[in-house]
Amino acid sequence: MSNPRTRTPRRAGALLAAALLLATTACTDHSEPAPATAAVAVTGPLCAALPTGTEPGNPTALAGLPVEQALTWMPTLTTFEAALRTSGLLTDLDQDGLTLLAPTDDAFVKKFSDDTWDTLMTQDHDKLRTLLKAHLIAGTHSLDELAAAGTTTTVDGTALTVTRADATTRFGDTADAVCADYLAAGARIHLVNAVLGPLPTTADGSGHRAH
Amino acid sequence: MRRHRAVLIALSTLLTASLITIAGPANAAEPNQVTDLTIRQADGYTTLAWQPVDGATDYQIERTPVDSADNPTGTPTIVGIWRPNRQINQESPTFADAGFNPGDRFQWRVRARIDTTELPYSEAVVGTTTAPWGNPDTPGERLRTQWETTHGAQYTSDTDEYAYTAAIDELSDRVRVVEIGRTIQNRPINMFVIGYPAPAATPEAVAATSPAAINCNVHGNEPGDREACLIMARQLAFSTDPRVTDLLSHTTVLIVPTINGDGRAANTRGNSTGQDLNRDYSLIRQPETAAYVKMVRDYRPVAGYDGHEYGNSRAGDLPMLPPRHQNVAQPIFDESMDMIEGHMYREGAEAGWWPCPYGCDGGGNVGLGEETILRNTLGLKNVVNSLLELRSSGGQTRPDEGNAANNRRRKTFSALWTFQQFLDYHRAKLTDITQARADAITFQAANTGRLVFRGSRPIAAHPAPHPGSSPPPIDAPPADLILDNAPCAYKLTEEQYHGPRTDGPTGAVTTAAERIADHGWKVVKAADGYYVPLNQPERGLIPLLLDAVGVENLVDGERVYPTRTGRHTGPLTITGFACLDDATVTGPVTVRPGATLVATDTTITGPVNATSAAGVLLANSKITGPLRVTGTTDAISLIDLNVTGPVDLSANRTTNQPLLAGTRVTGPLACAGNTTAPTNLNIRNTVTGPRAGQCATL
Repeated sequence: MSNPRTRTPRRAGALLAAALLLATTACTDHSEPAPATAAVAVTGPLCAALPTGTEPGNPTALAGLPVEQALTWMPTLTTFEAALRTSGLLTDLDQDGLTLLAPTDDAFVKKFSDDTWDTLMTQDHDKLRTLLKAHLIAGTHSLDELAAAGTTTTVDGTALTVTRADATTRFGDTADAVCADYLAAGARIHLVNAVLGPLPTTADGSGHRAH
Repeated sequence: MRRHRAVLIALSTLLTASLITIAGPANAAEPNQVTDLTIRQADGYTTLAWQPVDGATDYQIERTPVDSADNPTGTPTIVGIWRPNRQINQESPTFADAGFNPGDRFQWRVRARIDTTELPYSEAVVGTTTAPWGNPDTPGERLRTQWETTHGAQYTSDTDEYAYTAAIDELSDRVRVVEIGRTIQNRPINMFVIGYPAPAATPEAVAATSPAAINCNVHGNEPGDREACLIMARQLAFSTDPRVTDLLSHTTVLIVPTINGDGRAANTRGNSTGQDLNRDYSLIRQPETAAYVKMVRDYRPVAGYDGHEYGNSRAGDLPMLPPRHQNVAQPIFDESMDMIEGHMYREGAEAGWWPCPYGCDGGGNVGLGEETILRNTLGLKNVVNSLLELRSSGGQTRPDEGNAANNRRRKTFSALWTFQQFLDYHRAKLTDITQARADAITFQAANTGRLVFRGSRPIAAHPAPHPGSSPPPIDAPPADLILDNAPCAYKLTEEQYHGPRTDGPTGAVTTAAERIADHGWKVVKAADGYYVPLNQPERGLIPLLLDAVGVENLVDGERVYPTRTGRHTGPLTITGFACLDDATVTGPVTVRPGATLVATDTTITGPVNATSAAGVLLANSKITGPLRVTGTTDAISLIDLNVTGPVDLSANRTTNQPLLAGTRVTGPLACAGNTTAPTNLNIRNTVTGPRAGQCATL
């Protein structure tokens, strides 16, 4: 992958214009996505840990964004977001509507060792895509709809049970929805606390590696 | 409470925004109530301090958001637990509360606990926290990173970093941004070069200021330190605080925000090939690590920090570790330990942060003695330095970090505190640091003592009370990785030296010759191969890469032992490669064209003349009579010599810098017409006679 965007000068003589722009807008336009019309209600125990209220990246602010942009505002999805971007899957799928079961960063740490993950991200892109497809469902489905159906099929063709007990909705045997019903343009995003799909667990429980 | 609040409002209007200290209660304390709670605001954190309660086993810190009239606007939350293993002085407990949105206003209370029994809370104190640094109306100062504008929801992207970096470069005379290399995916690796009123113009001129270097982000999935670096670059670039201008008047600060831009973009530990770059600083197989090592060669930082995050949730806020490899010279190890235990532990107890030995409480069993790790590589390059970890999770002492933004802010502002403290240490202890470096370089060049291929110096527990519960593990070198009889040099074959390497990334094939040049080692070519003498400043690192026993070596070089020891009387003519160690020569020494003389611990009485030699590398020796070196083709290194008589270095043709350091010349010193001007590595020579030409300032 090349990065034509990233060329930067040794001595930034030519960047006065960029600098002035930056100075007036305080670093491009990351400050606040355009708010969508209706307030978006997300549910689950993790929601409080994510941007809420009028914070940048709050659920209502994300509703009109393309899904790949919306994901960048969710600070507990950095692994999943980078993986989707690296895989190119969203571009290739070109779905009309999509539901994402998005494992949190903690879920990835519990699942894969650093070495396994780096290998998936840098070399085994086919395997990475397979893994990610196990977290995508065609169409936009609320958590209630998925739970009511009791079963769904992910983009990799695997059937996935959806069970609800008390306030918890579980995908397969392990992945509980921890903050559900984010909206993005043509997409629903449900954060889950475990990685789905066929790959074996390689994390040894010691957290990430030492320096 | 009403009356109390009114008093606080009245008080707070009297106090400046940057420093708010509100004294405790007017009314008498309850038994076992925490008293004299004060707060002090700093960048991204609030230091709470209070009088200890007898018998307390820990303290709970409660924070409540309040509005401008000090009415609560949210739920009181326990945000911190003070435990006795936080700090080295138990009689003055402090806690750096962080994680909040900078600029917001809060009320704090602290209570002691005896085991699980909660004692009464202190009176509350209220304050407005320090807003993100830089006046929003002042050009330059008003720049913000993506991480700041998104309130920590997003890390600063590559493109945002470049724009921010370029803007600082453009708007501050103190800053020059240089590109020190490119990643495999062609992302620039930028470095801020910051000095006051302006940074010195060339790498050599910057090196003369004894720079301090910070490597902010080697592992792409550990971005907390990088955000601190970006904020600090803005502070250094624009602050009018006398502390900052004083710092920058006395040195140059080098900040590399993102050495691993590809890994950062993909949020992976390694680079785009999956290589862990912090296992590559000696081998420099990857362009990213090679860029850093070349930077160290050219800019010669004397002190460094290397930023990471750490998954051990029981660790302190800021685990730190010095260069431990046993080949690191003792003065560098000692000074690095002083930086950590003498400075950071003490200042941490003032500010309320919790630096601790790496591992701190369990864990820390890997990454100890490997020379492939920057901490050790830098130590072997005679740089006082430390690893810095930011504990990834809130852990048991910061229970309110389930919120991602709170967690990210605590990490980044703890790193910012550390890096600012690092600069203060450098400013306060520069004489000690440069002395340690000079002693280390002369020790290394003397090529004395055993070599250890892998294994660490022991680190004893800090005297009680000590931060953390356990010192780092021992990691002693095994017997088969110790070489008591150090060689004089390593000899490499043409194939070993110039053969294309297969251990690097596709499309970026390098040779051992290039990597050795990146490290800055002297090499001489002879008819039978390439010699890398050990009597040079990075003596401790050379065998790790060139000896067959090296655990992660580059080549299986041939050990070359001294060719002459003991007494020699009469003229001595050097042809080929000669290595004198513990020798005494009485009579003139002539180094023939194409020959190389290496000497350590040797006394020569009689002039030494080298004309068109391949190399002249002398260390820890005495020479009587003129020392004349001209027309040398490959390498010159003169370290820690006593020369009675004139020294003349002229018309040498080496493409690398001749070294003349730590040497006493009784007589004149003249250097003229050398293709590359000699350097003293900032280790002054003592010369009784005049210094002339290219050596005028050495």
